[in-house]
Amino acid sequence: MKTELKSALEEKLVSCHTCRKVVEATHEHCPRCQSHLHPRKEDSLHRCLALGISGIIAYIPANLFLIMEITEFGADESTTILGGVATFWQMKAYPVAIIIFIASVMIPGLKFLALGTLCAAATGKIKLDPIRANKIYWLTELVGRWSMVDVFVVAILVGLIQMGSLMSIRPGAAAVAFGMMVILTMLSAHAFDPRLIWDRLREPSNHSKSS
Amino acid sequence: MSHEHHAAWPRLQEQHHRVACHFCDTLHDADVIEEGLAAHCAQCGHILYRNRWNSLHRALAFGVTALCLIALILIFPFMSMEAAGNTEVVTVLGAIFNLWKTNGLFIAASVVIFVLALPITLVLLLVYLCLPLLFGKALPGSIQAMRLFQSFLPWVMVEVFFLGAIVSLLKLVKLADVSLGIGFWSTAALMVCLAGAVGGIDRTELWDRIELARSLKERRKKGA
Repeated sequence: MKTELKSALEEKLVSCHTCRKVVEATHEHCPRCQSHLHPRKEDSLHRCLALGISGIIAYIPANLFLIMEITEFGADESTTILGGVATFWQMKAYPVAIIIFIASVMIPGLKFLALGTLCAAATGKIKLDPIRANKIYWLTELVGRWSMVDVFVVAILVGLIQMGSLMSIRPGAAAVAFGMMVILTMLSAHAFDPRLIWDRLREPSNHSKSS
Repeated sequence: MSHEHHAAWPRLQEQHHRVACHFCDTLHDADVIEEGLAAHCAQCGHILYRNRWNSLHRALAFGVTALCLIALILIFPFMSMEAAGNTEVVTVLGAIFNLWKTNGLFIAASVVIFVLALPITLVLLLVYLCLPLLFGKALPGSIQAMRLFQSFLPWVMVEVFFLGAIVSLLKLVKLADVSLGIGFWSTAALMVCLAGAVGGIDRTELWDRIELARSLKERRKKGA
């Protein structure tokens, strides 16, 4: 690693989380935007884990309960998330099945995994190439919102289809749980501070220099 | 017009501009870069800041267009459906009202917040900041406006909603004759304009410009 590149923290500086201004660590508030200054996000790992675990908990009812209660021509065609994917697949609507599967199953699953890995790397429990950690974090923040697509599909179908006797659609309990899961994991990713992983890398070089 | 005229955005002169990478905290001098270029972190390669071409004009143009499109979405039908002899024309607000009636309160709220309220506020804030900055001015509350702008940014989900609309359409076409309305196409255009408005100007540039405008204002006050 290129040790000649110093971090702001090593130079006793702090970069404002809001406006990115770099000021002396002695400041309590940012002179430019008045935000409270802290060198790293406060309680980053605790908040990330707490919100992430809440997300996993919300994901359980999201899969157990119905996402849409559908009655079509008197027949009950209610579905869960996975049931919906299976139905689309059987209807040969492959792109829809794939989009819903990626957004509702794969992204949340990978997101839990990614946040767990990042937290483990930040506490030093596992070794992770920091460049790769950056990529994982960047992707986690980028794709998280797309999970919301399933909630919006329910919203649009329920909002549009009001054909009375022919068909009625009502949102199920899983839609709420799923929406909560997406919001919680977005907050969780937002709470994580990728700089913690780099700090771990910088530690040894600090010690060797001071000794 | 010479190239140097547009080389950099104006910022406070009398201080040492530095920037720390948001991913690895590596400290850099925040050098002036030419329009169209981006500065990357020397340690991890992540983007530090960009100098967008014609940033203020671009953010404003896309922002004002986005506001007009939101008005179209609120007024015109999203789509109309024909099934079993009935034709039904649905607007976005009508759909939200239906949703609310069927106990879909949480879902209705998430659409209202993520697809309407936050995008509208976001664009209004951007216009409130960029329009006076065009004349080197910052209106009262600029700092708070900019902070709100940044905190709303991750929660604007028009593009996700649009993907949801496409997925729903693929299901609906099997049930009814669907024709798309102005509201639908405006949502597609809004998605593009929001990306253009938000991506049109770098946040570092906005903060630097606001800081400069505010300090000039204070200096003028002291002088008077």
